[in-house]
Amino acid sequence: MAFYIKLFSEIFQERELLYILAKRDVSIRYKQTYLGIIWAIIRPVLTMLVFLFAFKNVAKISDISGFPIQLVIFSGVIFWNLFANTFQAVSNSILANNNLVSKVYFPRLIIAFSSIAVSLFDFIIGLIVYIILSLYLVHTLPITLLLLPLAVVLTLLFSIGLGLLFCSYSVKYRDFLQMIPLIVQYGFFVSPIVYTAKSLQISNWFNVYSLINPLVGIVEYARILLIPSYSVLNFDFIYLSIGTCFITFFLGIYVFTKKESSFVDYL
Amino acid sequence: MSIVEVNNITKKYNLNQISEPVSLRNGLKSIFTKQEKSKDYYALNDVSFSINKGDKLGIIGNNGAGKSTLLKILSRITNPTSGSVQVKGKVASLLEVGTGFHPELSGRENIFLNGAILGMSKREIKAQFDEIVDFAGPQISNFLDTPVKRYSSGMYVRLGFAISAHLNPEILIVDEVLAVGDADFQKKSLGKMKEVAANEKTILFVSHNLTAVANLCNKTLHLEKGTVKQMGETGVVLKNYMSEVQSKKMSYSAESFQQGIGNELIRLKYAEIKPELSKDLDYWTVNDPFNLHFEFWNTLEDVDLNVSIHLYASTGECIFNIGNQPSKYDAGIISTDIAIPGHFLNDGSYFLSIMVVKNSSIVLANFEELFEFEIADYRENTTWYGKWPGYVRPNFPIIMKQVTSEI
Repeated sequence: MAFYIKLFSEIFQERELLYILAKRDVSIRYKQTYLGIIWAIIRPVLTMLVFLFAFKNVAKISDISGFPIQLVIFSGVIFWNLFANTFQAVSNSILANNNLVSKVYFPRLIIAFSSIAVSLFDFIIGLIVYIILSLYLVHTLPITLLLLPLAVVLTLLFSIGLGLLFCSYSVKYRDFLQMIPLIVQYGFFVSPIVYTAKSLQISNWFNVYSLINPLVGIVEYARILLIPSYSVLNFDFIYLSIGTCFITFFLGIYVFTKKESSFVDYL
Repeated sequence: MSIVEVNNITKKYNLNQISEPVSLRNGLKSIFTKQEKSKDYYALNDVSFSINKGDKLGIIGNNGAGKSTLLKILSRITNPTSGSVQVKGKVASLLEVGTGFHPELSGRENIFLNGAILGMSKREIKAQFDEIVDFAGPQISNFLDTPVKRYSSGMYVRLGFAISAHLNPEILIVDEVLAVGDADFQKKSLGKMKEVAANEKTILFVSHNLTAVANLCNKTLHLEKGTVKQMGETGVVLKNYMSEVQSKKMSYSAESFQQGIGNELIRLKYAEIKPELSKDLDYWTVNDPFNLHFEFWNTLEDVDLNVSIHLYASTGECIFNIGNQPSKYDAGIISTDIAIPGHFLNDGSYFLSIMVVKNSSIVLANFEELFEFEIADYRENTTWYGKWPGYVRPNFPIIMKQVTSEI
């Protein structure tokens, strides 16, 4: 515990650097693009439209477990993107900033943490779109929306933790970089992004699965907060997922700090 | 009180890993197979030294001596394989200028970004912002809101250095950053370094520019192949270093005709290049005259001979070619002496070739690149330590006087 307190106070001291690196990433993100931040809207909306088409026109389904398809998919997609973008950014952060790592010393976690700014920024844009969508489709917003930052923090804990693990190993073994797109591609389908957990919840392996893949719990928790009268059979699996988020986060930080001093030798 | 203490540090690199790509497969292979003895390379081997508060330490040595590795360890960028480093105080390291500049961001944004990366707080940068822009020059202040990718490389470097020059650490680690920019900017940056050196700050300074080391540093560390060759007062260390560097290839002698280099007509017996060193210095500077003396065996009777000397700069340009009038010689040993004045060649490394010519047209023997020598810089009463331009550095009198006292 003392280890983490010391580490976080060191990072707190460097918060100005953390802030300016994050600002750098956000401000260059949409430089030299004509549409600018509209791109942050296009991507999740397009994903949703593709599945909407598949469900409504191909599979002839008019709702998912009784809830509007658009809301279920869009809430899933913005959280999935938050996870996927953060995970990829953190995994690549050291290699992408190798000019800094090999020339200046500061806690390397600053680089990893600052890299989440862009995905968080895109998430907020996505959330605004969701709110508009919800007001348009069901003419209401649940008050539980105010608790949404909890779900965001949980997503970040898991994606940063997993990202740090991949980052720590990929500096030396670039093989880990090759696994990242696979996780992002297939993870989308094995997590309840375009479907809900309700249909799976009766299976006896479901709780174990929520423990392994905490996105199951996070996304369902986020939907409880976002979609009016959304329900799940029980809450056990959410607690399991939350546990995994914390474990992954602290494990990731631990492994990263053990490896960080050797990064520069493999860059 | 020592402010930096380095105890027996060693930095080992595994050469196998450098030659073979590091991959998961090789990583796993090395777990399951017994590795043959790994080839290790010691960038630093058991290096210890300490410096006191206010010391300016120059670090010199050939390429591959471990200077950069040492700076990286001192600035915590990498850890030593063994040994320990104790540094008391806030460190700023300048291993390059403009670290972390982002091409898409404007000059203004990059000042804040780079400043933060180098450890300045936002308040410090704001307070010194105008000074930084002013130091970087008028070109930069006109393009402060232009992305730095549109800057010329000179502007880029000037802005980078201007930011670094306004750092305010207790210990400053500098790697060759003075060798950037045009002569004018170099002058400005060395002036700034000198200003920093004047106060109680501790500086560690790696450079190939011995003049700058001699003028900025009170102590010097000479590294050789990863070990400390010598550490002490700058004057003493530089003297030993220069006389070692200069004793490269300055004399030649053959025992007998058969052993001499050359051909059946002409063989070189003896040759030497000898500077007349000034009393107080042990190494060859731009002030010193030097003599070239050589003897060769001639096998031809009653022949018109002369010699021709070529002097080349290390970059390959011929600085001069001199020859004498041909005259009659008989077979036997012929000796030649040439005196070259001081205040003539600039500092640098040179190659010298000797040619023996018959009837002023037929080359009998050509001893190419026979000698390689190095001339050190020497300056007095100056505040500028950049590389002195030009191949020659004559001491022609310049007469300057006041004509009137009115305008």
